[in-house]
Amino acid sequence: MLDSRLLGLILVFAPLSVLSFGGGQAIMADIQQQSVEVHKWLSNPEFIDMFAISRIAPGPNTLISALIGWHVDGFPGALVAALAMYVPSSLLVYAASSWFIRCQASPFRLAIERGLAPIAIGLIFAGILAVVRAAQMDLLGLAVLVVCTAIFYFTKFSAYLLILIVGLLYAAIYFTGGFT
Amino acid sequence: MPAEIPPSTPEPSPAKPHVSLPALFVVFLRIGILSIGGGFQAYLYRDLVDSKWIDPKEYLVGFAVAQLLPGANPVNLALYFGLKLRGGPGATAAVLGMLVPSFCIILLLGFAYRQLAAYPVTHAILIGVAAVGIGATLAMGIKISARLDRSWSSIVVALVTFAAVGIFRIPMVPVMAVMVPFSVGLAFVLGRPHAG
Repeated sequence: MLDSRLLGLILVFAPLSVLSFGGGQAIMADIQQQSVEVHKWLSNPEFIDMFAISRIAPGPNTLISALIGWHVDGFPGALVAALAMYVPSSLLVYAASSWFIRCQASPFRLAIERGLAPIAIGLIFAGILAVVRAAQMDLLGLAVLVVCTAIFYFTKFSAYLLILIVGLLYAAIYFTGGFT
Repeated sequence: MPAEIPPSTPEPSPAKPHVSLPALFVVFLRIGILSIGGGFQAYLYRDLVDSKWIDPKEYLVGFAVAQLLPGANPVNLALYFGLKLRGGPGATAAVLGMLVPSFCIILLLGFAYRQLAAYPVTHAILIGVAAVGIGATLAMGIKISARLDRSWSSIVVALVTFAAVGIFRIPMVPVMAVMVPFSVGLAFVLGRPHAG
């Protein structure tokens, strides 16, 4: 009999896996809602910390599933959550890619491309809103967000370097008593 | 831009290069570790196209497929190009190369966080890091939106999806169940290439 916590992880991540059009950001709102509000596996601050860790770490940000899984049930939880996150979508992509590689152009494929693109964009922005809301950002956070958005939009500045600078900035503000 | 293809040049069809499974695994392992903030696109292009495993046109098709299907973009790219180069075993090697090291690293970081969570400064720093991550995503969202075709139907579909999930917080499953058939059907009915 499968542990009910592991089953819970599968039931949360496997459906989101096949719905993650536009990548991980599209399902971030649902991951937050399911793990914080529905299952109460995490608090909002814990979710934000895990979101940040998944951004520092290499690889897709949907690896946040492994962190949540670990939090719920240790290593088996991490493994099960990651498999639930990647196996369903990969099977789907495998089948669809085999078809795409063979047929090069069809009106049906064009309709899929044109129909899914705006949905993906709506979901990406909804995901951003969910994370901003969960972070309960203060004025400093919003200012950093706006500046970083501009830097990433207009320049090719290294993401690692920017993370390092902002991390040091926050540590400096913390130790000088800026957060009270 | 390296992605541009001269439209009138007939492509010679060279013999498909033989790529070994370990080589495929190692390439995606490297990209998996280096990919942050969208950097994987550039690394992937360099490793696949510049080494002549994949021609630029094939790369763009694979990129569109990976972006349009559900799943993490880097994982889908690994799957698509692994499949293209070496079939099923190639797809498996590429996806494992992409995911296994990242999986281990994120667990190590998570473990380090557990030790550091007792210090409030950890949370302060991570809020800052999250702001950078949201900024990167926002910049990407704006760039992608700028490339979306500006038909009223696309704009309405994007806004309705955003409002339903983002503002009214309706779970995504029912939203997608309604929006995907609606939007794809609409694109099929309205869909005429702009050039034609």
